[in-house]
Amino acid sequence: MEGLFFNVNGGYVEGIVRGYRNSLLSGQNYSNLAQCETIDDVKLQLAPAYGDFLASLPPNPSTSDLAGRMTDKLVSEFRYLIAQATGSSAKFLEYMTYGYMIDNIALLITGTLHERDTRELLERCHPLGWFETLPVLCVATNIEELYNSVLIETPLAAYFKDSLSHQDLDELNIEIVRNTLYKNYLEDFYNFINTHPDFSGTPTQDIMAEILQFEADRRSINITLNSFGTELSKLERRKLYPEFGKLYPEGSLMLSRAEDVEGVALAVSAVADYKAFFDSVGLSQGGGMGGMGGGPADGKSLEDLFYQKEMDMSKLVFTRQFTPAVVYAWMKLKEQEIRNVTWISECIAQNQKERIGNFISVF
Amino acid sequence: MSGAVGREAVFPTRQSLGLMKSKLKGAEIGHSLLKRKSEALTKRFREITRRIDEAKQKMGRVMQIAAFSLAEVSYAVGGDIGYQIQESAKQARFRVRAKHENVSGVFLPQFESYTQEGVNDFGLTGLGKGGQQIQRCRETYARAVETLVELASLQTAFLILDEVIKVVNRRVNAIEHVIIPRTENTIKYINSELDELDREEFYRLKKVSNKKQRDVAAADAEILAAREKAAAQQATNPEKNSTVQVEEETTDVLGEQEDNDVIF
Repeated sequence: MEGLFFNVNGGYVEGIVRGYRNSLLSGQNYSNLAQCETIDDVKLQLAPAYGDFLASLPPNPSTSDLAGRMTDKLVSEFRYLIAQATGSSAKFLEYMTYGYMIDNIALLITGTLHERDTRELLERCHPLGWFETLPVLCVATNIEELYNSVLIETPLAAYFKDSLSHQDLDELNIEIVRNTLYKNYLEDFYNFINTHPDFSGTPTQDIMAEILQFEADRRSINITLNSFGTELSKLERRKLYPEFGKLYPEGSLMLSRAEDVEGVALAVSAVADYKAFFDSVGLSQGGGMGGMGGGPADGKSLEDLFYQKEMDMSKLVFTRQFTPAVVYAWMKLKEQEIRNVTWISECIAQNQKERIGNFISVF
Repeated sequence: MSGAVGREAVFPTRQSLGLMKSKLKGAEIGHSLLKRKSEALTKRFREITRRIDEAKQKMGRVMQIAAFSLAEVSYAVGGDIGYQIQESAKQARFRVRAKHENVSGVFLPQFESYTQEGVNDFGLTGLGKGGQQIQRCRETYARAVETLVELASLQTAFLILDEVIKVVNRRVNAIEHVIIPRTENTIKYINSELDELDREEFYRLKKVSNKKQRDVAAADAEILAAREKAAAQQATNPEKNSTVQVEEETTDVLGEQEDNDVIF
């Protein structure tokens, strides 16, 4: 039923995205890239997919420049999509940008806290998290003004309002602020796709619920793992867990009580996927913190496995139709692609060829 | 060689000869001491050079690993965390303290690195994702900085030692090639001058005794002549001569000439 009228408003956007999807780098492309000797070769290999955006780069560009140009392309494509989208699809795409807005605002908060000129920071802001009133935030010179203007000017007001006061911005670590916002954002997004009349009961709800649940679980697990050995208390930690996902509520509770990696492994053991991750990186057997470097034999870290899983889910989204969720999936794939290319070019630039295969190729 | 260095401006006296001799002895002792110091420093210098070489190679490896771990961070986080880390770092966790080491009288600064435990300003960075990579990256860079500190102390020691060795070698050479030859020359000069004086003295004495002998001979001849004259007078005027003879006897009683026979 939902397919009957979807194309009236969302067909064009979906079509465009499916076109974009075809320009994603394939396994063949990646193996070509991995054989490159210089960054220039990488640039050449990327030319079919990125064309104009890389043309103006100087010879042998730095990897960050390269990544910057690739991000530019992603941004311009996304802007086109968001300009074309209407109605609830447009709202959905806006939701996608909130995550980047959170990062930008966290950046500005950091700058204001340290009394820097926040105008200089605008350049560092992620272009996807850009909104019209972002420069207004630079007017604020102290944290209270900033807090008020955030409440008034930004779409993120709702995430601030209930959980953070302006004193919190001053006192709490910026990472806690950021993660609190992100938690609120994820919950709101989840709520949005589940309750919005245009989305409930559609493939969008199915897909996005799964993806967002995964995202929420991933954040919970990462926060727990990364908080070991820091001053973050268990109570504070618990406040950062999004209140949905496959782990919620029992797993989250166990996570909040976990004191070491074994505790985390125990907490996630109820969910088969995560248990498999922990088993494969050897964390559940009481091994050390598995990482990209000194970890397991196959060189995959927990983060890598999470990314892999995210990519698999994103890939599967393209089997569904009549949903703006493909935009979300495409964006995630594209971001992973940028990370992959950055990784490959870093490996080439630093002459560390043995680790070059450590990227995640999807197609 | 010895001609070039000249000698010191001293009066060739026995006193200055003594001074010079003690100076020569002092110079020789100083020379051997400085030589030993220079050798000790050179030994140390070589060791430091070797260690610098090792440290530089280690630095190359460590820096490479560190840069790569940063790449891992940017892969895992997927964004730029530089600004946040710069802003959140308030206190130095990695500190350096300097101390002195005494190598044969030369003070070499040594930098010693230590981490201030409990200072962990960006422990929460990457809480959402990539935190482990960030921590590991930080550890790798801490190791890299450690190597840099080690290298820095070696390099400083290298520079200072280089300078000191040059100075010491200059001193050793100066003593060996200038001061000792010059003192020796001076001693030789004083000796030769003293010998010369001795010879002159001897010659003078000889001359004096010659002259004395000549004078004595002349006086003898005169006396002889006078006596002959008197004898001739006596022969012509004996009475008169007797009274003169008596007078003469009183005056000449301690004379060198042998007493004339008194003829009454």
